[in-house]
Amino acid sequence: MASYLEILDDDQGHELSLFCVPKHYEEDLDSVIIPNGLIKDRTERLARDIVRDMGGHHIVALCVLKGGYKFFADLMDYIKALNQNSDKSVPLTVDFIRLKSYSNDQSTNCVKVIGGDELSALAGKDIVETGRTMETLLSLLNECNPKMVKVASLLVKRTPRSSGYRPDYIGFEVPDKFLVGYALDYNEYFRDLSHICILSDRAKEKYKV
Amino acid sequence: MTDRLVGCVQKEEGLVIPDDWPGYNLELFNYPEHYRGDIESVLIPHGVIMNRIECLARDILEEIGHHTLMVLCVLKGGYKFCSDLVDSIKSQSRSTNRQLTTRVEFIRLKSYLNDRSTEDLHIIGPEDLSIFKGKNVLIVEAIVDTGKTMKALLQHVKMFQPKAVKVAGLLVKRIPKGSETLPDYVGFVIPNRFVVGYALDYNEYFRDLNHICVISETGKQKYKV
Repeated sequence: MASYLEILDDDQGHELSLFCVPKHYEEDLDSVIIPNGLIKDRTERLARDIVRDMGGHHIVALCVLKGGYKFFADLMDYIKALNQNSDKSVPLTVDFIRLKSYSNDQSTNCVKVIGGDELSALAGKDIVETGRTMETLLSLLNECNPKMVKVASLLVKRTPRSSGYRPDYIGFEVPDKFLVGYALDYNEYFRDLSHICILSDRAKEKYKV
Repeated sequence: MTDRLVGCVQKEEGLVIPDDWPGYNLELFNYPEHYRGDIESVLIPHGVIMNRIECLARDILEEIGHHTLMVLCVLKGGYKFCSDLVDSIKSQSRSTNRQLTTRVEFIRLKSYLNDRSTEDLHIIGPEDLSIFKGKNVLIVEAIVDTGKTMKALLQHVKMFQPKAVKVAGLLVKRIPKGSETLPDYVGFVIPNRFVVGYALDYNEYFRDLNHICVISETGKQKYKV
């Protein structure tokens, strides 16, 4: 069972004024729920756990864009640091995929996988989205006969809609609130915010498409 | 949200950590292997300390970061906070095109307990702080509880006729006979527990721990003098 840092449902977060937040977002956020520094510290630990479990074999790190890119970059940095400073290290290569979702006329949601070099089996394949995107992605990955596949997720949301799937490595378990920042966006905004914050109702309207 | 009037800055209380907060499980973080079992919980992760410092540095730069800033670091506990704070001040000042010279001086305070258990504070450090005359001075302390150290230092520094003296305290402890005056810049307000890490020690141990933690019973016994 993966351990995780639990952010409680009633956690109000910290006052914005206690942290450095871009001026252009000051009116749009209610509070800072996970400061960037805490994200980095937790990620540092995840990197250590991952290297401990997967060490010895070549690791292909697959980043699911766009929301995953900051977590991916920071996680890779910590894994690299561990590699550099230990007697044994493993080669690490990276790849990126994008999951683009669209609905067809039968109103079933489909998710298309875009990108990935060695994952030629996956590119262009449609995945039927039944709320089990990760599990489906994993079964597709297994067609490439990897030695081992693990999933690291920075955040897992506590929501009744969850399929029950738990990643192998979890940063934080968060409440079912609207969170932005650290590459989590709201209509492409807030990716440039380094802390994870709670979006204000006002901002939901302001940045609505 | 707080209204910021131009030219008038609201004094932040600092990030308040409630008494009943147990802290984070140590196993969720990275820490030196040799402290396994010695720590009860993580009160403030290193990353959050750094985020808060960035914010304090921004405020300091805005208020007293003009021309030359004299920094007085209280050793040993203050060394990490001072180093990271000054780094952040310098880095932020570079990106605002402002010309700021920072200079750090170090001071050590030793307290002597006589039989009547009154505490006298003995200041060890540069005898001559006349370089402070007419300058903005920032005293940097790791932890403020009774406020005695802060008071003594302020008195000492004022003798050298600085332009202005401000105090930055990373941690302020909530204790019954707590300090009446708070530092001008406060990182965190914490419960009355013995904390270690981020240069704060227990008999010289734990200074090499990045996070601010609460020591465990095992730890207290192990590193007892």
